[in-house]
Amino acid sequence: MIAFTIEMALVATALLLIPGTLIAWLLARRAWRGKALVETFVMLPLVMPPVATGLILLRLFGRRGVIGSRLGFDVVFTWRAVVLAMTVMAFPLFVRTARVAFEHVSRRYEDIARTLGAGEIRVFFTITLPLASRGIIAGAVIAFARALGEFGATILIAGNIEGQTSTIATSIYTLVQLGEDRAAMSLLLVSVVIAFGAIFASELLLRKA
Amino acid sequence: MLAALLTLQIHAAASLTDVLREIGTAFTRATHVAVAFNFAGSSTIARQIESGAPGDVFISADEAQMDRVAKYVVPGTRRDILSNQLAIAGERDLLKARRIALADPRAVPAGVYARQYLERKGLWRALKKKVIPTENVRAALAAVKAGNADSAIVYRTDDAHAFVITDGPTITYPAAVIRDSKEARRFVDFLSSDAAKTIFRKYGFMPK
Amino acid sequence: MRLVFDDVTLALPEFALRASFDVETNALGIFGPSGAGKTTLLEIIAGLRAPDRGRIFVDDVEISSLKTRERRIGYVPQDDTLFPHMSVKKNVLYGGTGGAPILHWMDDLMHRGVTKLSGGERRRVALARAMTTNPRLLLLDELLGGLDDAKKRELIALIPRPIIFVSHERDEIAALCEHVVSIDRGQCSAPASLPQSSFSLSSRPQLKR
Repeated sequence: MIAFTIEMALVATALLLIPGTLIAWLLARRAWRGKALVETFVMLPLVMPPVATGLILLRLFGRRGVIGSRLGFDVVFTWRAVVLAMTVMAFPLFVRTARVAFEHVSRRYEDIARTLGAGEIRVFFTITLPLASRGIIAGAVIAFARALGEFGATILIAGNIEGQTSTIATSIYTLVQLGEDRAAMSLLLVSVVIAFGAIFASELLLRKA
Repeated sequence: MLAALLTLQIHAAASLTDVLREIGTAFTRATHVAVAFNFAGSSTIARQIESGAPGDVFISADEAQMDRVAKYVVPGTRRDILSNQLAIAGERDLLKARRIALADPRAVPAGVYARQYLERKGLWRALKKKVIPTENVRAALAAVKAGNADSAIVYRTDDAHAFVITDGPTITYPAAVIRDSKEARRFVDFLSSDAAKTIFRKYGFMPK
Repeated sequence: MRLVFDDVTLALPEFALRASFDVETNALGIFGPSGAGKTTLLEIIAGLRAPDRGRIFVDDVEISSLKTRERRIGYVPQDDTLFPHMSVKKNVLYGGTGGAPILHWMDDLMHRGVTKLSGGERRRVALARAMTTNPRLLLLDELLGGLDDAKKRELIALIPRPIIFVSHERDEIAALCEHVVSIDRGQCSAPASLPQSSFSLSSRPQLKR
């Protein structure tokens, strides 16, 4: 179950990297009508109660949901729901960190690159992205930590099915419910150690940036 | 006569949500004492009481959860007030169902009863991996209603269309006072009154 | 080179930048106090800022209608803009060589890292980087600022033609330029020709057109 949680968190982090980086870059470098709307939408899972986000996901991805009914495979109450909850909840954290990383890349460098003949894609991959990479990696680490600890949305759409969708967080919950405090505390310790390691690594990366 | 300023805090099993609201209204009308409810899986409530959550009365969906908080119960106030029966909501043939929602069979009464029943019938091993545990019995029902589970084992009082399991376990709902007061005792007494029994029957419960 | 500014205008917070002139020169100086709009003017020529209206021609090519990366105008801005995440060699070769041979006076620096260079060395690298792409024109913004006389002379000997050279130091303009435009609070004077100094008379590298 611990390995399962880590695996799912890694998958979730991998999934949000490319769209998250793209959106972070757009928010940092471009302006358009309705940009504020996009910003708000992306940040929503961060400020809404996780169960509220979980409820929205349940309605969308349930068997009868707008998306769920068209998929041909089950999402709710499967490992896919675990990944979904983790990805959605970690996404705004990643975008926020990556956006700041992009904003800190001096536009000067990008301008010089353009005068030297580089097209926008080359500028992005040779100048912007490398210079923002420390912050982006830090963002990925934070996102991973957030995914690991995700509970509210997970319990709603993945349930807490032993051996199938139980995560560290939902297992702690069940153990507490059952009054098995000793086991709950051990799991809590594991959770804290992993989260601590992740945040610490992220801080180091951000500091050097 | 001064209306009481007190509001009674009642913790009750989720399966009692609708019926207790009506009983609460009747109680307040008769006694001018307000009531506020916390509905959840009985194991959740037991846990909260163990952790010192404030509350005046606890109505549990099984003996086990009430036993769990025995040392918090005001002596002499515990009484069995209801019976209920298990029922299957949704797809009746559990072997055909791909997913069966149960209130967590490790702890929540409805789920525990369901598991005991299935074990007795020799079906638990086969059905175990299809089980989706939920926090309380109403959540199990909701999963079926939303289409995310094919079947759920609930109480017959939760769903009028559910298929009643007539050879199921004896289900007893005990009630007890947690924080002693005249009003709390009055409430537990009220649960055994004729007025309350009529309301319980209306919702399909069997008063003891 | 024939340089034509046709009613180039840009509204800025404090004043309006206005330049309109037609001059045949190999080295145009832009002279004025700080804040007068010199850097902004260079940015407009390089394609990094768009004017409100007006056109710019370099040797009958309407460069103002071209995208930045198509203009082939080298730009050495005022502050350090060497790409910090690349070696000297990668910096210098970023824009490709456009067919020009690698500058011999860069040999001693090519294998160095970017971080430990002195001020004068950084300028040399920035200059080489802009020259290597074989631009039609070089824009130099305060290239000699803060250097001692010996270093200044070294750099001056390396600067090719044609150039537009921005400075607030009269002597630098006098040493390098054939014509000068004075700019004050956005208003550009007509180009005045300068007496040729001994430096300008010596043979110097010409950029291929």
